[in-house]
Amino acid sequence: MNNNLKKAGTALLNALSNHSELVMQAYFSGSINETDHSPKVIANLLDLKILWRPENERNLRLRPALRTLLEESLQDENTRQIDANIGSSLATLKTLSEHYKAALNQGRFHEAEAQLSEVTERVYSLTDMLATNVRLIWSRISNEFGYVSTVDAKIRENELAQSQVSELLNQLELFKFDQLTQLSGSHRELRHLLVVTLQSSFAHCIQELSLAQSKLIDLLGRFREFKGRTRLLKGFVLHLEQRPDFKPTDYSRLSKVPTLFNVADSLIKPANIDVNDVSQEQEWLNIVGKMHNINRSQSTTRSSSNSSPLTMQDTAAIELAENKLKVAVEAFFCEVIENGKNVTALDYYQRHQLDFDPEVWLYQIIGGYHGLPEQDKAFFAIETQGQPDPTFSGNYVISDIEIGLH
Amino acid sequence: MISQLGQVLEALLAGQFICQVTDEDSYRFLQSSANREQVESHLAILNRKLTSAADDQVYFAAYEGIGEGERAALSKQFEDVSNHLLPLIEWLLLVQESLNKDLSLSQGMNIRLNELQTVIEDTPAYAEQLNKISRYAMFGSKAAELDAQLKLIFKRLVELGYLIKPNQDKQIYTVTGKIDYLFDVLKFIDETEQLSLAKKAEDAMAQTNLL
Repeated sequence: MNNNLKKAGTALLNALSNHSELVMQAYFSGSINETDHSPKVIANLLDLKILWRPENERNLRLRPALRTLLEESLQDENTRQIDANIGSSLATLKTLSEHYKAALNQGRFHEAEAQLSEVTERVYSLTDMLATNVRLIWSRISNEFGYVSTVDAKIRENELAQSQVSELLNQLELFKFDQLTQLSGSHRELRHLLVVTLQSSFAHCIQELSLAQSKLIDLLGRFREFKGRTRLLKGFVLHLEQRPDFKPTDYSRLSKVPTLFNVADSLIKPANIDVNDVSQEQEWLNIVGKMHNINRSQSTTRSSSNSSPLTMQDTAAIELAENKLKVAVEAFFCEVIENGKNVTALDYYQRHQLDFDPEVWLYQIIGGYHGLPEQDKAFFAIETQGQPDPTFSGNYVISDIEIGLH
Repeated sequence: MISQLGQVLEALLAGQFICQVTDEDSYRFLQSSANREQVESHLAILNRKLTSAADDQVYFAAYEGIGEGERAALSKQFEDVSNHLLPLIEWLLLVQESLNKDLSLSQGMNIRLNELQTVIEDTPAYAEQLNKISRYAMFGSKAAELDAQLKLIFKRLVELGYLIKPNQDKQIYTVTGKIDYLFDVLKFIDETEQLSLAKKAEDAMAQTNLL
């Protein structure tokens, strides 16, 4: 291996990585301003042929080879360059193959090996170039020339891409496989490279390109259609500006209505659920489940103007009626105190012909007794009359209450 | 479950336009001629036939024979169409210009409402145009705010079947094939009335270029 070349290559790559900022700046802006960087750096990059000066008094630019490398590696969609120089590649391949065969025949095996690796390199770079070109064209198709905004520009871009595709196809015709087969003769390696590899790449490329070509024509048609549509829209607005009273004739009155305007009216209305069909029960339940119980709070609907004026009323009368039962119970206890005799609640109830429910009366008496203050409670003795429940043990059914004084 | 044929028939009888965006399954169903014949035979019972427009991109039901009643219905529809024409066209131009795509809307394109709103808000001329469009009887907006006007217009266009909202939670609308139908209508009017609209637009553009 050539030691000097290796050193120089490492130095070049180091320079690229050390000045990557500068290189990318040059890539994006096209050129760099020398005054922004130290003259030493610039001189170094110029020496390494990373930058170059196209003309005197012009700014420095990236070398095209480096730019192409970046475009391809970054898959930058702005790249539109298609390298279609297949003819010269093929000619080089032929020459190199002849060298290889001659070296083999004369027994110079080392030289033959070097020639073969050269041929391999060329073949692979050729197939790579074809694949890259196809990918470039497809990437432009797939984003519909998104890097330009107007339809006119898209149409021009499309035309450029079409010319590139046909150029590529023309170049591909230079592949003469019969000649290549003859050239490779009986050499197995050469045959593999020149016939098998190139052929598969060629077939793939041709197929993709013809697809791309039809797609491009399609797209062109669509762009033209868009342009036509925009013109139609603008034209109509203009027309109405000039003749605001314009109204198209009612085509539906023609004896033969144009298909465009023969649109049948809606005929069908949504069907309803069959409540008697069990299979539809689930849907039915869902519908019912979605019904909300609406509780409108009354206070929110009442407006202040509707409310009756505040009046002071005597509420005592109402209270009396409510406490009739309580008053009766009090009277009962008073009678017990006055007479000093034991009285059963139901006796008193019958004597005074009270009209409450007897059971309520009994509850109220018990409640009344327990409601007394401890002091007063001590005056009375309470005795319940009744028997245990016949069915459920532990329950005691009270039938009457006897109240007396201690 | 209802069969694909049933779904197609229901949509057609409801006066809907079937395109790839609105109902892809039904649209694909109609692509096959055997299925189309099946649909035709069902529609024939109800005095209807299957029709397509915009290079078979939209299918809809048309009347087979046209009597008095049908003619009245068609006449009413035509009036709607011709009244909707100008508002729709102005709206199409507004969307196209404000999104700066230079591409007129067609089936399958997406419109992001937020994106559109930002552009229109930032450009007084577009805002004015939107205000004008929203006042047409077709949209009938009385709102003064741009946001409400825009939302109403889009809601109305969804109702009329020109747009659909694939995801209810997102303000992204997809253009249906009915827009392409609209362009067909416009082309038809252009040709029958001999308006040569495209030429007019070109002349006008040439004039502005001269200025």
